Amino acid sequence: MSTDAATLSDGALVEARDVHFSFGTTTALRGASVQVKAGEILAVMGPSGSGKSTLLHCLAGILVPERGEIHFAGQRVDSLREAERSALRRDRFGFVFQFGQLVPELTAEENIALPLLLSGVRRAKALGEARVWFERLELDGLHDRRSGELSGGQAQRVALARGLVARPQVLFADEPTGALDSLTGEHVMNLLTSAAREQGTTVILVTHEPRVAAYADREVIVRDGLVSPLPSDRVNA
Amino acid sequence: MIRLALRLTFAGGREALTRLALIAIAVMVGVGLLLATVATLNAVQKQNARYAWLETGYPGSNAPVATSTTGTTAADPLWWRLRADYFDGALIGRIDVATRGPKSPVPPGISKLPGPGEFYVSPAMAKLLRDTPAAELGDRYPGVEAGTIGEAALPAPDSLVIIVGRRAADLLQENGVRRVTSISTTKPNKCNGECAPGVGNNGNGLTLILSVVVAGLLFPVLIFIGAATRLSAARREQRFAAIRLVGATPRQVSVIATVESAVAATAGVVAGFGLFYAVRVPIASIPFTGDPFFPSDLSLSLMNVLLIALGIPLAAAVAARLALRRVSISPLGVSRRVTPRPPQPRRLIPLIAGIAELGYFAYVGNIGAKSHTSSNTEAVAYLLGVLLVMAGLVIAGPWLTLLVSRISASRATRPATLIAARRLADNPHASFRAISGLVLAVFVGTCSIGIITTIVAYDSNASTASSSSGDALLVDSFGGQQPASGNNVSVSTTTRVALTSIPGVTGVASIYDASGGIYQQGRPGQAASCAEIAHIPALGHCEPGAATALISLPLGGGVVSHQTARHPLAWLDAGLTTAQLQALPLDTIVVGTDGSTAAVERARTVLDLHIPNDYAAQTISEIRTSDARLLDGYRQLANVVILTSLPIAGCSLAVSIAGGLAERKRPFSLLRLTGAPLAMLRRVIMLEAAAPLAVTAVVSAGAGLVAAQLFLRAQLAETLQPPRLQYYVVVLTGLLASLAIIASTLPLLRRISGPEAARNE
Repeated sequence: MSTDAATLSDGALVEARDVHFSFGTTTALRGASVQVKAGEILAVMGPSGSGKSTLLHCLAGILVPERGEIHFAGQRVDSLREAERSALRRDRFGFVFQFGQLVPELTAEENIALPLLLSGVRRAKALGEARVWFERLELDGLHDRRSGELSGGQAQRVALARGLVARPQVLFADEPTGALDSLTGEHVMNLLTSAAREQGTTVILVTHEPRVAAYADREVIVRDGLVSPLPSDRVNA
Repeated sequence: MIRLALRLTFAGGREALTRLALIAIAVMVGVGLLLATVATLNAVQKQNARYAWLETGYPGSNAPVATSTTGTTAADPLWWRLRADYFDGALIGRIDVATRGPKSPVPPGISKLPGPGEFYVSPAMAKLLRDTPAAELGDRYPGVEAGTIGEAALPAPDSLVIIVGRRAADLLQENGVRRVTSISTTKPNKCNGECAPGVGNNGNGLTLILSVVVAGLLFPVLIFIGAATRLSAARREQRFAAIRLVGATPRQVSVIATVESAVAATAGVVAGFGLFYAVRVPIASIPFTGDPFFPSDLSLSLMNVLLIALGIPLAAAVAARLALRRVSISPLGVSRRVTPRPPQPRRLIPLIAGIAELGYFAYVGNIGAKSHTSSNTEAVAYLLGVLLVMAGLVIAGPWLTLLVSRISASRATRPATLIAARRLADNPHASFRAISGLVLAVFVGTCSIGIITTIVAYDSNASTASSSSGDALLVDSFGGQQPASGNNVSVSTTTRVALTSIPGVTGVASIYDASGGIYQQGRPGQAASCAEIAHIPALGHCEPGAATALISLPLGGGVVSHQTARHPLAWLDAGLTTAQLQALPLDTIVVGTDGSTAAVERARTVLDLHIPNDYAAQTISEIRTSDARLLDGYRQLANVVILTSLPIAGCSLAVSIAGGLAERKRPFSLLRLTGAPLAMLRRVIMLEAAAPLAVTAVVSAGAGLVAAQLFLRAQLAETLQPPRLQYYVVVLTGLLASLAIIASTLPLLRRISGPEAARNE
């Protein structure tokens, strides 16, 4: 994929321009615009039902906006076909969700290796790369555990490893600590941000917790379907 | 708590009602099939009971020939003779009666005995008589129709039965007449001793057929019902977690689950009874036993009704409680016991034991075809072995599934294979349960078809010579017996003229018993005039210059026989003069015809009127049909089991797959969000069902062929012949139907794995 920066604002890697989206009669986004630079960690905040997860899904090519444009690395994402968007998500993006994202029948090791297997990497190589993440994310000894045998924090770290193992350009994290206690949540966020910075991965993080958002380089707030920068007093705080 | 559970069930919103309706519909289908199966088994018994009166006069029944002592009872004696007659290949039951007084016993289905010159007929027989020229049929039954035989005496709605009133003096001139003072109520399968030949189903055959049908059909039906009651289990468990959160105890949650399942199952059972009664008439018309049933025979006993009406909801309630034991429902959510104990190799023991038992009886234990063991012991021994193999397949199935899944997982290079294999290994019991019905269907089908194929192969060997003669030869065999009148049997000139004047009759041959004197080992034991043989091409021809020849009638070799076809170029000269030939006892009269129904039936009518015999004359085809009744039984058995169990098992498979999809809604949708192609998830679903299906189908097909070989060896002293095209078509159809059923659930995958499923709830 070519990186035609000329189509993006100020060298942004991911951009949403005037995005509109509705669920039936409920409007979720009404002209949302946001830019994310390469290597940046952006926190998208907002109250429940404000449309922040919908914005993340639009940016990731999961949902197609009714109006507006989504760009990634110089390419128009919203006009791609479903198969092309799937390939984009598989090859260039990583995901971490709040819960329930691990395939319950697979071991932790196989869950982490899954994106590589989906991309056609050979089994032995995929599992080898997956194993590297166990030490990195303090998951030693959990290789053969299945999701039901992991604690919430362990499962979320496995999910994080799965999101990063294929070295994606962008990691989309939707309330990654929403199901964890505050201590475990902070631990996961530490690991997430340090691993992302280490790899140079751009992170778009949806959260409603200021403490989680504080790990980001920049924060925006979604309210009534529109994106606005966080007030300066909040930023300073 | 029960009241709360009922309120949650009925007032739990649209989702709760939809779940209730889904389970109820699935249970309705399962119960409908179960009731149809049970009612069909009852109907087989009732149909057999309708044959009971035809056992009258036979020592094995409760109405044997009356001796002078028994003749002193209040009833007047009745002269009674049962004979098989034929029309165009169809069997006609003919009973000749001559009453000795007003108190003679009256058979069921008629209000009084027909007097001389009268007859009672079944509705189908009445129609046949009306539609057929008298010379072809009606002339055999002189007299007028006095009435119709009621259902009580008819095995099937289309049975051809006639009760002919005769004068005692006339009837006693014929063979096989018995003096009775009561009418038998002994079913053919309960007849102990000498019984009416070819009437109803005998005990062993019936026991074997019914037992295999019961095992082959009921098991898939029960699995289907079980799968239906577990529908939406995952969703229900999440709801239970929420109920726990507000303070319900595990026991209270268990009560709610039990009530919900029982309510859905009860609704399904009620609807299932409705479904059964709606399809009862069409089912009755299917000739499972070779004859259709009266719809009223497809009935349920009080015990059947109680067992099903109470048992299914009870079983559903127990299953719901047991299912909850496999998960831990805490106020914070549902956690599964992720490491259930894997099945052990010892699960193979019953399967091996079943095959070993059959093998012992076939090769070591001296029972079966070449022994004097009672046929009842043979049936029980074989049945036990077959049921053990069936149970063994079901018990070994999870272990085989685990084995396959472990091998697949260790070698998987594609994510679909890996996920499917891990899923199978995670709960091989559940994975196998979904396909166990199909596995049993494959086993029973393979075993039945293997047996049938072999029997057909031997039967066709035995009757190759007769295949060309088919309907062209009408054979009236006397077997050396002389009529009750004491006169020697012979074909008079009048009879010969009457026969040869029938259009389509080519000639008449008298076949004499030559086994005394001129018979030599290895040579045919009958003799005939070459002049007569010359008029009947189907009989072959004599050596040039011979006046008489030693001949062997091409009657076939029975159901299974090592007798090979004998179709000589020319029959050997018997070296007898015509006078010497005619001095021999008459064995058989053969009438050569053009095979047309009119010629055959007119000839049969003439023979019946001119030379009354214990047995009606039969064409070669009819003799073979008679021999093949056992074969037909097995064929029907195989068809019933395969055609019924495959759709039932398919439904179970579809329900299990749909249930599994619903359980994995969130991980699958998240996988799709992260870029996993839908095609990959489809492959996961197909592999999860197809892999164990293929492996266990191969194992059950192998077990079926082994069981068939051991059956043939033990019961018939034969060797299994390779299955023919029909077998492969049936198995392939079954597997393709299963794959189609699996594929039918795939649209559900697209829907449940959409982006909305991944949204936080």
